[in-house]
Order: sequence, then structure tokens, then C-alpha cells
Amino acid sequence: MTINNALKAYLLLIPGLLPIVAFMSLVVGMAVSQSIGFFNFAGDDHFSLLFWQQMLTQDQFWRVFFYSARIAVVSAVLSVMLAYPVALWLRRPFPGSDLISAMIKAPILVHGLVAAFLFVNFISFQGFLNVALVHLGLIARPIRMQNDPYGIGVVVLQVWKNMPFAFLIIVGSVRAIGDDILDAARDLGAGRLARLRRVILPLTLRSLQASLILIFIGTAGDYSFQAVAGPININSMSQFMLRIQMDNAAHGWNEAAVVAVMLMVLSLFGSLAVAGLMQFAVRRAGR
Amino acid sequence: MTKLLFSRNDVYRYLTVLLAVLVFLIFLALPFAMAVLWSLVDPSHPWAYPAVLPPVLSLRRWAEIWTTSALPQALYNSYALAACVSAVTLLLAVPTAYAFGRMEFTGKSTAQMMTLIPLIIPGFVSAIFFSALLIQLGVYSRFAGIVIGHTVSLLPYAIRLLTVSFTMVRQDLVDAARDLGASPLTVFRTAYLPVLKPGLLASLIIVFILSIEEFAISYIVGAPDFVTVPTILYSYLGYNFIRPNAAVVSLILVVPNVVLMLIAERLLKSADPAVVTGKG
Repeated sequence: MTINNALKAYLLLIPGLLPIVAFMSLVVGMAVSQSIGFFNFAGDDHFSLLFWQQMLTQDQFWRVFFYSARIAVVSAVLSVMLAYPVALWLRRPFPGSDLISAMIKAPILVHGLVAAFLFVNFISFQGFLNVALVHLGLIARPIRMQNDPYGIGVVVLQVWKNMPFAFLIIVGSVRAIGDDILDAARDLGAGRLARLRRVILPLTLRSLQASLILIFIGTAGDYSFQAVAGPININSMSQFMLRIQMDNAAHGWNEAAVVAVMLMVLSLFGSLAVAGLMQFAVRRAGR
Repeated sequence: MTKLLFSRNDVYRYLTVLLAVLVFLIFLALPFAMAVLWSLVDPSHPWAYPAVLPPVLSLRRWAEIWTTSALPQALYNSYALAACVSAVTLLLAVPTAYAFGRMEFTGKSTAQMMTLIPLIIPGFVSAIFFSALLIQLGVYSRFAGIVIGHTVSLLPYAIRLLTVSFTMVRQDLVDAARDLGASPLTVFRTAYLPVLKPGLLASLIIVFILSIEEFAISYIVGAPDFVTVPTILYSYLGYNFIRPNAAVVSLILVVPNVVLMLIAERLLKSADPAVVTGKG
């Protein structure tokens, strides 16, 4: 590679990479600076940890933080747990497997808000589920299931939307495992469960971790599922951030910035922690 | 000895396929059928418990939304934005994808990782602090603001898809064209374009769809009066849940995008260089 060629390559990177790096560092920089009192829209700019102190001493903030963390962990783990056996099942093609793959991937094509609407419409007072339960004689009158206080609706939606992603990521790595490796394991006397624990799981660990990380990040930052189908008495981090920014006139931006930084911290460390736990679990299972 | 027509394994397999189809029907087809039904409820004959089916079906709701709500404006905004965003995104992505797909240089994998940053920053964090940035910079055009925001957040997809297309261009064809004295333009037309075309079209379509579907930036930067299809749908959900309206807007949002996405998928599948160049 000549210096000239390298220079050409770096120049070609500018149009695509520079906007991304510039935009993202400006946006993240803006959030961090506003959280410590700079770029104020009200009052003078000066360094202050007041907003951090105000936010981190609020019970409400921690409730929201742990609520988002809980929903993210549960959704990521459930999506992967549902996708994994299906991916193993579809490892080798058989009549009808293409149809099943296509059906599993279908939710990817459905917009999140549309999915939320379909779900709310399905479980609402007048929805199909209630009508069906009444007609089957299981309940006497329709019951209220919308915006349940535990966030079950949000988890159902997240799993519905994210399971196909997990499936796509995992099925690739499952299919990449050669038959010769599995045959060798079988010849050495490994049963079905031993092959899964000692061969398949370790070889697909990276894809399990990748899907956990991606789903965790997407779910922790969720706004629309929570706003449409989530509990009314608690916010998600994104919802809380937006509410604070709009409601608290003078320092709304600064306090929302603290929530934003904490949401990024949660996304980063939470997803890494889940991925780390998965590695630990797979290693334990392989012993 | 007569051989059984179906082995026990086959029966299990058919049963599980059947079960999968059933799950699909309950989790996707049925909710969509409900949405279609709700969009056809006649406004003067509401569908209320305990009626199992709507009393009167009509297209009046569709006509009413079209004439009384901001939906036509939202459709215009969404499609105009998507057209601008996909054109700009593609123009910016092509040179970078060329470098990733056809050149070797130090720091390539780090640079490729860096293009993925927009995917790991939570959408509402980018949206809210991008709007703060726009205020600081004094940019008040909502349209321009959303175009910038969408372009940056969708660049990773275009770069990734086009990088794959560029790696599929065959060096021997490029060399052969050059050896035969072709000008750079002819080399591009004969060796690059046929292989790149499906990838280019697919990325154009995918960025177009993702821009129409993007909610966070459109909602925050566009607030309060720049509407797009997802923001209008959002206004019909939640606390003031207007079900028939939400049903109509949902169908308007989903159906064209699904059709476009299926076209994009077909294009990507056809993007095999052996098919395009006629060489294995």
C-alpha cells in the first residue's frame, strides 16, 4: 500500500464517516455539557454538579432507571431464549422451513408504533382477546389489560419485535457450525445435550451476546412501546427525559441531560453485563 | 413389506410447521385483520361491546381522515423527507463504501466500527440533544433539521449494504476492461455498475423506508407542528386513543413499506456477481 493510496482511502472515508463522527460527538457532547451546566438556555454558563446531585437524589429517578433496566434485561433474555431453539430447529432446511423463516422475520417489517397499536387493539376492552375469552365462557365481562402496572404489555411487544432480530443473528452462526464437528462430537460419545452444552452453545456464544447487546440497548431507550402500552404510573428513561425537558422550564434541559447520560451509561454497562453473564452461563454449562 | 407413506418424524415435522403457521396467524394475521376491520367501522355506527363484529362497514372513515386531518400533509412531508434523505445518504455513503469494499488501509476495521455509532446511541437521546444543538446553531428549518438527523442515523445502513456490493465487484473484470483500453467511465459502466445496481437500489429503498418510519427525530425536531406519518399515528395512540383513525394510519404506514421492503430483499438476493456478470 503506497502512502498515496492510503491518503486516497482516508479522503474517501470523509463523506460517510465524518458526518457520523461529528454529529454523534456533538450530540453526546451537548448532553454531557448541559448536564454540568454549559450551553444553558436559561441563565449563565458555569460548571456545576447541582443537576447531577438533584437528579441522583430523587427516588423517582432511580425507580425509572431500574424499571428501564428490568424491562431491558427481561426483554433481551426472553427474545434470545425464544429465538435460540427456533434457530436450532431451522439449522438445516426441510420442507416448510423457508415459510417459517419468512413468518418469523415478518415483525421486522412492521413499524414499532403500528405493532403497539395492533397489540393494544388486540388486548383492549373491545379487543379480540376479551371478546374471545367472554365467548369461551372463561370470563363473565371484559377485563382491563391495557397499560398493565407491571409492564408485561411492553415486554410482550419488545419480544414480539426483537425476537426476529435475535433469530436472524443466531441462525447465521448456528448454520455456520459444520456437520463434521457435530459428527466428531457424536463419535466421541457426546449425546444430544452434551453436544448442545459443549459444542453448539460455545460456538454460538458471540451471536448470543451480540443479540443480547443490541436488544438491551434498543429496549433500554424505548419510548413508543412504553408510551402506548406501558404502565401509567411509571416512565421509561426516554419518556422521563422528555417529560423533564418539557416540564421543568428553567433547568429542564440540564436535568434531562443528566437522564440522557445515565441512559447511555445504562445502555453501555447494562448490555455488557448481560453479555458477560451469558458468557459465564455458557462456560458453566460446558463444564 | 410396504413402506409407510409418512414416517413418524415427518408427521412431527408437519405438525410443528402447522403449529408455527397457527402462531403466526394469531400473532400477526389476526391483529392485522382487526386493524382492517376497525378502519372500516362506519363513523355513525360505532362498534361497541358486546357486538362481535362492527354493525356497519364503510370507507367513510378513510375519506373523513383524508379530508379533515393533517394526514395528506404528513404523507407529503414523510415522502419528501425520505426522498431527500435517501438521495443525500447514498451520495455520502458511496465513496466511503468504496474505500471499505475495495481498498486496504490502516485502521479500516476501527473506521468500520465507528460507522455503527448511531446504532448504539439511544434514539431519543440523539433526537433531544440534536434539537438542542439546532437551537444553539440557530437552525430553525424543521425540514432541514430532520433531513440532517435522518441522514446521519441511516448512513450506517447504506454504508454497510454498499460495502458488500463493492466487495462483489470482480477485480479481473476491472483489470480486463482497463487492459482493453477502457476509459474510467467505461470501466465503471461495464465492470462496476451491473454488480452495484441491485445494491444501490436496495439501499435507496431501505433508507427511504427507514426514513419514513423514523419516529424520535421527526417527533422531537418536528414538534409541535411538522407532522409525519408516524407522528400522526402516535397522536392517535396513547391517552387519546382514537382506534379507527389509528387503524387507518397504521395501514397507510405499513402496507407501502412492506411492498417496498420485499422489492429491496429481492434486489439484494439478485445481487450475486455470478448472475450479473455471467461468470461463476
